Amino acid sequence: MKIMINLTTHKKNQLFIKTLKGAGYLTLIILTLFLFTLIFNSFLSLKTISLSFLFNTNWQPNTGNFGAAPFIIGTLFTSILALLISIPFSLSISIYIGYFLKNKKRKNTLETLMDLLAGIPSVIYGFWGLMVLVPIIIKLQTTLGIIPYGVGILAASLILSLMIIPYSVTLGKDVINLVPTDLVEAAIGLGATPYEVIKHIAIPYSLSGLFAGHLMAFGRAISETMAVTMVIGNRNFIPKSIMDPANTLASVIANEFGEASAPLHISSLIELGLILLIITTIINIIGKIIVKAYTIET
Amino acid sequence: MTNETILSIEKLNISVKKNKIIKNLSLSFYKNKVTAIMGPSGCGKTTLIRSLNRMHDLDKSFKVKGNISFGNTNLLKADPILVRQQIGMVFQRPNPFPNMSIYENVLAGYILNGIKLSKEEKDNIVDINLKKVGLYDEVSDNIHRKGSHLSGGQQQRLCIARTLAMKPKVLLLDEPTSALDPKATTRIENLINELKNEVSIIMVTHNIEQASRVSDYTAFLYLGDLIEYDTTETIFTVPKDKRTEEYLSRKYG
Amino acid sequence: MKLNKTNLEKRLLKNKIFYETIKIFSYALLIPLALILFYIIKNGIAYLNLDFFIKMPAPVGETGGGALSAIIGSFLIVGLSGLIAIPLGMLIGVFLAEFKEHKINNLTRLAVETLQGIPSIIYGIVAYAWFVMPFGKFSGISASIALALMMLPMVAKATEESLKMIPYTLKEASYALGANYYTTIKKVILPSCQKGITSGVLIGISRILGETAPLLFTAFGNAFLNFNMAKPINALPLLIYNYASSPYQEWHQIAWASSLFLIIIVLGLSIISKNVIK
Ligand SMILES: Nc1ncnc2c1ncn2[C@@H]1O[C@H](COP(=O)(O)OP(=O)(O)O)[C@@H](O)[C@H]1O
Ligand SMILES: [Mg+2]
Repeated sequence: MKIMINLTTHKKNQLFIKTLKGAGYLTLIILTLFLFTLIFNSFLSLKTISLSFLFNTNWQPNTGNFGAAPFIIGTLFTSILALLISIPFSLSISIYIGYFLKNKKRKNTLETLMDLLAGIPSVIYGFWGLMVLVPIIIKLQTTLGIIPYGVGILAASLILSLMIIPYSVTLGKDVINLVPTDLVEAAIGLGATPYEVIKHIAIPYSLSGLFAGHLMAFGRAISETMAVTMVIGNRNFIPKSIMDPANTLASVIANEFGEASAPLHISSLIELGLILLIITTIINIIGKIIVKAYTIET
Repeated sequence: MTNETILSIEKLNISVKKNKIIKNLSLSFYKNKVTAIMGPSGCGKTTLIRSLNRMHDLDKSFKVKGNISFGNTNLLKADPILVRQQIGMVFQRPNPFPNMSIYENVLAGYILNGIKLSKEEKDNIVDINLKKVGLYDEVSDNIHRKGSHLSGGQQQRLCIARTLAMKPKVLLLDEPTSALDPKATTRIENLINELKNEVSIIMVTHNIEQASRVSDYTAFLYLGDLIEYDTTETIFTVPKDKRTEEYLSRKYG
Repeated sequence: MKLNKTNLEKRLLKNKIFYETIKIFSYALLIPLALILFYIIKNGIAYLNLDFFIKMPAPVGETGGGALSAIIGSFLIVGLSGLIAIPLGMLIGVFLAEFKEHKINNLTRLAVETLQGIPSIIYGIVAYAWFVMPFGKFSGISASIALALMMLPMVAKATEESLKMIPYTLKEASYALGANYYTTIKKVILPSCQKGITSGVLIGISRILGETAPLLFTAFGNAFLNFNMAKPINALPLLIYNYASSPYQEWHQIAWASSLFLIIIVLGLSIISKNVIK
């Protein structure tokens, strides 16, 4: 009897170990299939349009013209602008929490603020942007005497900047906090003010970490879909100013994929997805390498 | 013996929350002398020495009361930045700034305080101070490299050079050799001896031999009380208090 | 004291300005957050009533109505995602933490991290290619797969991280009592990691509940009440997206109410998950 029980548990044990290893392999298979699916379905576009896809500035599905340039530029434009808008805030909060509020209760307020900003679903950001922010921009544009689109790069970047701040702060406050007390005390012992300590010691010391945090936030901005789709105006031209409607890689997919029927159109949209994936993966890898080097160092 | 007083502590009380760490302590430090502050660990040596250049301002939980006269100013009422420029501090663990070269580390006080210097002035300050701490020949080839590849002892001497570069009147050393090997320790002890002509030195140590080797005066602290303060010779040969005697014979450490 | 006083005053002023500036920039973000929450609550609260939960959206031109189909759809889609992602994610997490020496361990970790960084819209494309193209119709199942793939890395990471915190002695103790590997993991290790894993699962659920992009070409949305996961199905984020871009006031109101409801659940889940760890 006893032996019987042991044998069944033994079998269960073997099966369990196999299942665990199987789960590991399954992850690899999923990712491979994932990438294969994207490449396979982009194939038509890759073959018919080839490299000119990247540089063609025309995207007109009804005439069979497919160029990614407007969206690559639209994506970089909105994301860089969003990053620039977010930096004063994310750096301030990182320094404020990481240096000044190190052990204080008050830092909970700001950390909760970050959690809330990060937790709001992006479709709600988009909805709010459309209903509240866009009308404000329309007023602004009317006063300035510009065509009052409301929607466009500016609206998208403002919303995005708000959404990505928590991402740079997560890493930023930690790397500032990790600046050794030793160094801070040595600097203060030499007569430095907190501002001077931060400028000359804390920021140089944590620079690579701050950079990585902002890089990842930038990657987040590039891949953000819904909020951008809802407020960017969905126009397939290269934007000339921040007031222009435009489209990003993600937003044009969200906007057109459901209605696309021509195989080349679908394939081109999937290739846009592939480009988006490549850009964000490269950014994430660089960010992770920096973070890894950072954690080994300290 | 008539000694000029450089710093004079009167009725100093330091507490953290409800916990009294330094209890009503009065004591005068003399100019161009080396004073050792000795006592078992946890007795308040670090707390005491950090009050002399207002490092407790960094932690709001520390309450410092009393009077510390420096010339005719009360240090506890003065601007902490001015205090720290006059009274420099070297810490237990060597802490050169890793983002700065050796050259910049010596100049760190000027960089941090936003004091503009000409190239000659800079070179001059770096040369003089690296020579003072005996690093000049050891690092002269790598002066523009980061200080982090130096040995522990060299790093600590770099930190001393960095502090001396500000031309402080008083140099505070908190167990400056506790993280170093015996050879590096000897170098620093010799250095302290050479430096006392230009700066008054107050040094925390819990190494009894070190106190006897380098200091002119010794203060013995026990549980936040100043038990005894006299010339090092007197303390080591004819201690008046039983606790001092027991400590010197290593009854407690 | 010989140092230049005016210089010091200037430095202290600079320091003060710096400090106040970063403080202002930090707290300034309370304003947009407050504005977002204010509008959602103000516009949503009136319609977040019983009707919201038990009625279908009213046809154009009629007032009232609710979000019943979207609520049911969201719970069905997310429920199925959880059923797939939680066990599979835990298995992957255990594999990552326990089989350190296995030849694909690092590769698997890299794959999990890569999956985690993939933009959400791409999950939608892939699920579309896998489940919508072959069957020729949108479906709740395809949406669940897309969301499950998004949730998978979060559960796996949370499991791996919690397992890493468990001291080896615990395992030894279990072995010493004669337990085998399976029993040790199931009865000793995983229960000790319950908090960390639960918190990871809750965060994962709160993330995918609000996801919209992967649903656009999978669940697609449905104007009718539907419990069949093999058919197109509605979901709260889809409803918000579709109604937001509609010109009808009544639909906007349902979208506000849905936003309020969604935000309460999403933020509630993340608060609960924070407190689970404590
Ligand atoms: N930041 C602090 N908070 C609370 N208590 C402290 C703190 N720093 C030091 N103490 C306490 O003050 C006493 C003296 O510490 P310290 O001055 O570091 O002693 P020493 O340098 O002589 O070893 C110790 O009992 C220590 O626990
Ligand atoms: Mg000490």
